[in-house]
Amino acid sequence: MPSQEPEIKNHIRQLRFEHGEMTQDQLAKQAGVTRHTIMALEAGKYFPSLLLAFRIARVFRAPVEQVFEYHATELNL
Amino acid sequence: MSNSEKWAWWTLGVVVMTIAAYAAFLAFRRHGPAIISVFALLALTALPTSSRRHFQGRTFDEREREIANKALRAGFSAFWLAFIGLILAIGFIKGWDTALTVPVWTLGEVVWWAAILVLGVQAMTTIVLYRGGSHA
Repeated sequence: MPSQEPEIKNHIRQLRFEHGEMTQDQLAKQAGVTRHTIMALEAGKYFPSLLLAFRIARVFRAPVEQVFEYHATELNL
Repeated sequence: MSNSEKWAWWTLGVVVMTIAAYAAFLAFRRHGPAIISVFALLALTALPTSSRRHFQGRTFDEREREIANKALRAGFSAFWLAFIGLILAIGFIKGWDTALTVPVWTLGEVVWWAAILVLGVQAMTTIVLYRGGSHA
């Protein structure tokens, strides 16, 4: 049975709070997307493009792998 | 609720209202060329549900674009299925060599129903993808 967990996890919510309790709206404006997209990302309902992943990482001044985490499954390395 | 979702709900509302008006028209009058006037209601889909973004010159972000593309593909896929189904049904029921004589307004009505199908499926897909998530 394939895992039901999303393969890509992110720490956006945690990083927002570590960066002066940044709001979703502030992050969205800095990353150039809508607040709804940030909400979907945090809820694990959307996987961003590489470009957006880098943009978000840049907002937090962190490497992309600190923001996004890839979990390989048995079926999908 | 994002502007795309507002558009989807608005469009779905207009589609349902048009179908209801069509049914009401059929109940009170015979099926004829005048029924095409009901489809003028579809012009309401052109009204923007929120013009603020339009005037601010903001564009869709990547998720909104992806959902819009998937919804459009779903709408046209439904159209193709219906089109192929209709052609096959006519062919098998009437016979492949039969010549059909239909009034011009019937052709117009078919085109309007195709528009309703595309818009309806597009709007519903948009709503479902915003609710359920859209994984790339």
